[in-house]
Amino acid sequence: MRASFVFSEVVTGLRRNVTMTVAMILTTAISLGLLGGGLLVVRTIDRMQQDYYQRVETVVYLSADISANDPGCTSSTCSALRGQLESAPGVQTVIFESRQAAFARFQRIFQGQPELLQLARPEALPASLRVQLSDPARFPSIAKAFTGRPGVDRVTDQGEYLRQLFRALDGLRNATFVIALIQALAALLLISNTIQISAFTRRAEVGVMRLTGASRWYTQLPFLLEAVVAGVVGGVLAIVGLVIGKVAFVDRVLAGVFEAAIVPRIGYADIFSVAPILLLVGASVAALTGYLTLRLYVRT
Amino acid sequence: MIRLEHVSKSYRTSTRPALDDVTVAVGKGEFAFLIGPSGSGKSTLLRLLLREEVASTGDVYVADLNVGKLSQRRIPQLRQRVGCVFQDFRLLGNKTVTENVAFALEVIGKPRHTIRKVVPEVLELVGLEGKADRMPHELSGGEQQRVAIARAFVNRPLVLLADEPTGNLDRDISHEIMLLLERVNRTGTTVLMATHDHTIVDSMRRRVVELHLGQLVRDESRGVYGVSR
Repeated sequence: MRASFVFSEVVTGLRRNVTMTVAMILTTAISLGLLGGGLLVVRTIDRMQQDYYQRVETVVYLSADISANDPGCTSSTCSALRGQLESAPGVQTVIFESRQAAFARFQRIFQGQPELLQLARPEALPASLRVQLSDPARFPSIAKAFTGRPGVDRVTDQGEYLRQLFRALDGLRNATFVIALIQALAALLLISNTIQISAFTRRAEVGVMRLTGASRWYTQLPFLLEAVVAGVVGGVLAIVGLVIGKVAFVDRVLAGVFEAAIVPRIGYADIFSVAPILLLVGASVAALTGYLTLRLYVRT
Repeated sequence: MIRLEHVSKSYRTSTRPALDDVTVAVGKGEFAFLIGPSGSGKSTLLRLLLREEVASTGDVYVADLNVGKLSQRRIPQLRQRVGCVFQDFRLLGNKTVTENVAFALEVIGKPRHTIRKVVPEVLELVGLEGKADRMPHELSGGEQQRVAIARAFVNRPLVLLADEPTGNLDRDISHEIMLLLERVNRTGTTVLMATHDHTIVDSMRRRVVELHLGQLVRDESRGVYGVSR
């Protein structure tokens, strides 16, 4: 097989249908860009989850009696609870927070809102045992074991609030993937259409090729490569788009959020670890579409 | 070189078979006319030889290949041994004469130095050595058909099939094309030419195979076009 011949056929084909080629490449690029965006969101969510779940605590709020009368967790009820928590499986640390300490923390958190502070009394806040779990998934067993025990008011999991946050982020990711999928469908149809047009405009050549005994590969490879070129170029554009999106949009809009380390920063390393996936998906999906189109619509 | 054994071909759209139990053989290096009115099955026969169609029953042989039984992958082997010329030339309008002829070799992967050597040779054989860089639309009909013959012949096929090659040409030019086909035939290539050009068939005095309504009705070694029909 002569590579130069096949290559020149590919270039001619892409040039001849410039408008379709551009449409095909752009649609592919947008679709892959969205896919890449979705993948970056997934990576960010994963990292946030690791980050946040390390910091969340399971809180065992203690009864009003203990809160009022046992500022050092020295009563038998409280110290027994603490001991049992410490020896429970999956528990890393247990810290007692007295009513006074809770009130001090409350004052610190809401120091910007003096009217709230004026209303608050230490008596409103319960003392608690703050439990750091090695695995946040162990929360239900802890909650089950300690809810209703003497001295325990209730057991809460800060992770529950996070799960709501992450459900929202998961929704964002899913929406991105759905749009990427719809866009991918449009890209596939365009690729298929472009190949059909390309085959039609070159039917004379293809006819001569068939009659002179060119192999199937020789006849169809140029069309297939056209699709693959579009897929790869689309992938490259998508990667460029992600880099531009990072620099021009994400880094600026979310600068404060990154600064406060609320959301981990999306780095170039993230984009470049997603890049090969985009190129591979672009090329292989285009090739597959091209192959099926040729099988179904183009006579050999 | 070409052999049909009890070949019938029916199309789904028609009640009458396009070819009806045809048995005929054309030997190596022979020159034969395939004649008959439109719809007699000439084109179907040629299409069977190229494996553009598959016979409904019977066997078709070209060289040593059982054409109907070839796998998709081996069809190119058949077509590389069979050259084709058509009434409408089928040249590529955006390529020069040389490029048109070279195309037939490029697409079967011949090395460039071979192409550079044999294309001028075959252009000389068909008498177009001075027009190598012309575009097809700059040539007369007869010249275009010469290019088409050069393209069909450049890979030295065992068989040359010609489907009404003079159908678009006037009488003098047709005669020149016939001389060219004879020259190709003299190189040892089997030539099978479908036509309904009386003058040519009568003047050449070559073998005549006649089809009528899909049946073989005449096979004469030095025939003329039509005496009875």
